[in-house]
Amino acid sequence: MTATLPAEAYVAALAGFERMTSRRLHVLLAHHDPAEAFAMVAGVAPPVGLVAALLRSDPDLARHWRSEAQRRQPAGCWSECRQHGIDVVLRSDRRFPSPLLDDPAAPAALFARGDLDVLDARRVGIVGTRNATQRGRQTAARLGYELAAGGAVVVSGLARGIDGAAHRGVLAARADTPGAAPPVGVVGNGLDQPYPRRHAQLWDDVARHGALISEWPPGTQPDAYRFPLRNRILAALVEVLVVVESRERGGSLITARAAAERGIPVFAVPGSLDSPASAGTNLLLVDGAAPAVESADVLMALGLDGRRAGRARFDPRPLPRGRDAEVVAWCRERPQRLDEVAGRGAMSLSDAALVLARLERDGWLREAGGWFEAIDTWADLA
Amino acid sequence: MFASVPSAVVHGAEGHPVTVEVVITDGLPGFHLSGRPDESVRESRDRVRAAVVTSGLRWPSTRITVSLAPSQDRKTGSGLDLAIAVGVLAASEQVPRSSLDGLAFIGELGLDGSLRPVAGVAPMAGVLDDLDVVVAPGNAAEARVAAAGAVRLVDHLRELTGVLRSEAPWPLHEPPAVSEEPPRQPDLAEVRGQPLARQALEIAAAGAHHTLLVGPPGSGKTMLASRLPALLPPLRREQALEVTMVHSAAGVPLPTGGLVTRPPFRSPHHTCSNVALVGGGSHALRPGEVSLAHCGVLFLDEIAEFTPSALDSLRQSLESGRSHVRRVEVSADLPARFLLVAAMNPCPCGGGPPGTCECGEAQLNRYARRLSGPLLDRFDLRVTVQRPAVDDLLSSADGEPTALVAERVHRARQLAEERQGVLNSALAPHLLDEMAPLDAPAMALLRHEMEHQRLTGRGYHRVRRVARTIADLSGGPDGPPAVLGEADVALALRLRSGFAGVRRAGWAA
Repeated sequence: MTATLPAEAYVAALAGFERMTSRRLHVLLAHHDPAEAFAMVAGVAPPVGLVAALLRSDPDLARHWRSEAQRRQPAGCWSECRQHGIDVVLRSDRRFPSPLLDDPAAPAALFARGDLDVLDARRVGIVGTRNATQRGRQTAARLGYELAAGGAVVVSGLARGIDGAAHRGVLAARADTPGAAPPVGVVGNGLDQPYPRRHAQLWDDVARHGALISEWPPGTQPDAYRFPLRNRILAALVEVLVVVESRERGGSLITARAAAERGIPVFAVPGSLDSPASAGTNLLLVDGAAPAVESADVLMALGLDGRRAGRARFDPRPLPRGRDAEVVAWCRERPQRLDEVAGRGAMSLSDAALVLARLERDGWLREAGGWFEAIDTWADLA
Repeated sequence: MFASVPSAVVHGAEGHPVTVEVVITDGLPGFHLSGRPDESVRESRDRVRAAVVTSGLRWPSTRITVSLAPSQDRKTGSGLDLAIAVGVLAASEQVPRSSLDGLAFIGELGLDGSLRPVAGVAPMAGVLDDLDVVVAPGNAAEARVAAAGAVRLVDHLRELTGVLRSEAPWPLHEPPAVSEEPPRQPDLAEVRGQPLARQALEIAAAGAHHTLLVGPPGSGKTMLASRLPALLPPLRREQALEVTMVHSAAGVPLPTGGLVTRPPFRSPHHTCSNVALVGGGSHALRPGEVSLAHCGVLFLDEIAEFTPSALDSLRQSLESGRSHVRRVEVSADLPARFLLVAAMNPCPCGGGPPGTCECGEAQLNRYARRLSGPLLDRFDLRVTVQRPAVDDLLSSADGEPTALVAERVHRARQLAEERQGVLNSALAPHLLDEMAPLDAPAMALLRHEMEHQRLTGRGYHRVRRVARTIADLSGGPDGPPAVLGEADVALALRLRSGFAGVRRAGWAA
C-alpha cells in the first residue's frame, strides 16, 4: 500500500515531526527520495550519507524521530492534506515560488491552498501590529485596496489588526475592480485551523481568490516561535514591504529586518510621535525606510502605474459642522476621551457626550475602551 | 443548690437569649456542661474555675451541672463565662440568689477574674427585654445602644460579688477612651482632574447605582471609590441600629458613641474567601463583608482577581439585599444591602490609549471571562477611568469638595424618594415610563444603540434609570426636568459603555 503514496505524503509526515526544522528537512530531502528519507528516519532502512550523519550527531533526536515516525504515518498525513484541500509543494515542483528557490533561509517544502501561480505578478507585503489603532487599520485597508487595484499582489500574514485589514482591503478591491490583483497569505500554523479564529472567513476568501501558504502541515499549532519564521518567508516572497504600524519591538520589525537583509525596499507609514503603535515604524523611517504616504509611492517602486489605484471611495456621511467638526479634528490628531472633549470645548459632560454620540452615529467617530478615534470611509474594512 | 442566670449568644447578627441553669448536687466533684456547647463554651469551665478561685471565692467541691437552655441550639462564644460563674456562685450560696433578679450577664472571664469585652454585645443586649445587662466596660457603648434596661459595668468578678452581696454600690466605670477624632474622611477636593469619574461617583451616590471603574493602574480608582461613602447621607436611626448590630456581631470596632452613624466602607482583598465575603464560619455564623457593608459601600478592588465562586455568591445579596447563610444545623439571615463599587484594569497589561495594549487575543478573552455576564449586568455605571493629565496632577487648584457634591446628592435622593418612594436604581421597569419619560430625540438615540446591538433590553432600563439620576442632579432651582432629554441619555450611555472586554463577552450594555 505504501508504494501507492506520492512523495508529497512523506514530506507532509516529516514536516510535522517535533524538532523538525527547515534546515533538517533540507538535509533529509537533499539527496534522497522522501520515501527513502522517511524509512531511514523511521529506522526501517539503514541511514546513509547526510541523513546518517544527522542522526548520528544527535542520538536523542534519532530516537525521538523514530517514535515520531510511528505517530505521523504518511498515509494519514496525506489524507489529512487532501481532506482540507492542501497541496504539498516540494522544491522540485514547478509551482514552488521562484523567489524562494535561491533564498538562503528558504523552506524545504510548502503547504498551500489556492493557486500559487498568482505569485508570478508584482508582489508587495503589508505587515503591522496586531494591536493596531483604528487609524492604522484604516490605512492598511486603504493600501490593500489601492495596491491590489493597482495590480500588485498583496502578501500579508492574516493576523489580527493590520494584516487582516490589508487583506479585507484587497478583497474589497477584487469585488469592485475586475483587474485587481489577488491576495496571498503567509501564516504560522497549519492551514486546517484558521488563527485567529475570527479570521476563518478571511482565510477562506484569501485561499479562494489567491493563495494561502504555510511552512507547516495541517494540525500545527500557532506557537509563538513560528511567527518570526513565518515572517522570513513573507519577506522573501515580496518585492516591496510596507510596515503600517509597529510598536518599538514588534514582530513586523523582524519582517522588516528580514526584508532589508534580502535587499528588499522597506516602506513605513509615518505615524504620530505620541502614538506607541507607530513608534516602530517611525524608527524604521529614521533607519532609512522610505515613507509610504500614498499607495502610488509603493506602486511606483514596483514599476506599476499608480493612476489606476487613485479611485476615491464615495463618502455618504453628512459633513459635521461647527463644534462637531472641531471635535472630529481633535480625534484625528489623537484619540480623545469624553472628559477631554468636554474640557477642550468648554462643554458640560452631557453636552460632550451628546456631540460624541451624534458623531458616532453619523460614522465620524468610533469608541473603544472610552477613547474616541476618527474613522474614514475605510473603517468598515478595518 | 439551684440558680438560673439570663445571658445571650449571637448567631449571624441576631442575639438569642440563653438561660444558664446551675445545679450543685452531692456526688463526686465534677463539672458537667450540657445544652450543646461548642468548643469555646466548653473551655469556659477552666476559665470560670480559675477566675472564681483567683477572686478569692470558693469552687464547690461537689458535682456541678450547668445547662444552657434552650438546649437544642448550639451555643458558641466566650460571652457565657460570666453567667456561668455567677450561676455557680449563686447555687453555692456565695452570693444571694435574690440579688440576681432583673439582671443578665454577658462577658468573658480572664483567669485572674477580670471581665473582658466580647463581640456581639449589641444584638445580645437587644434580646434581653428589660433586664439590666452586666457587661465589661469595653462593651459599654454597644450595650447601651441596644439594651432596653440599664447597663451595668463591672471589670472584675470580685467587684461584681461585692455588688451582689450588697456590700458596694454598682461601680461607675468610664468606658475605655477610644481615639477621640473620628478618622478623617477623604475629600473629593483632593482628586485632581477626572471630571468623568467624579460625575460617575456623584451619580452612583445619588441613585445608588452599582459602579464598575475600569482603568489602568495608577488612574485613581481606589482613591475615587474611597471618597464615595462621604457623599452618602448619614444613616437613619433604624439603619444605624441594624448596621451597629452587624458590626457588633462581627467584632468590628464601633465608633465612640457605640452607634454606627456613617455609611460603612468595606474593601475586602481579592484573596478573601467566599465565607468571609457572604458570612458563615463557625456556629456563630459570623457576618461577611457584604453584611458589614450594609447601608454603605462594598468596594472590590481588582474584581477580576476574585474567584468566580466568590463573585457568584455576591449575586444573591445584590438581588435580595440580604445574605442567607445556611448550614445543616444553623442558618442566619443577614442584612446586606450595599452599594457595590468594583475596580479592574481594562486588560492584563493595564491598557491605555488605543494601540498601546500588548495583550494577545486569548489573554484578553480569558480576562473578560473572569467577570460573568450576569454580574457585569448589575453595574448600572461602567466607567473608564484614565490616568489624569500631568497638568491636572500638578495644578494646585482643588476639585469640588465633598461637602458641595454631597449637598447635590442629598437633594437628588430626596427628589427621588418624594417622587417614587425609592432611589432611582430601584425604580421598577413598569414605572419607568411614568417617572423617567424620554423625549423624541432621546428615544431615537436609544433606538439607534439598540439597533446596533450596543444596548440590550435590560441595559435599556438601566440607562433610563441612570439618565433619571443625571437629570435629578442637574435640576435647576425649579427642579429637574420631568422628561429626560437627549443629553442626559447620551451621558448615561457613555457611563455604561464599559470596555473592550464587555463587548467581546457579548454583554453589550
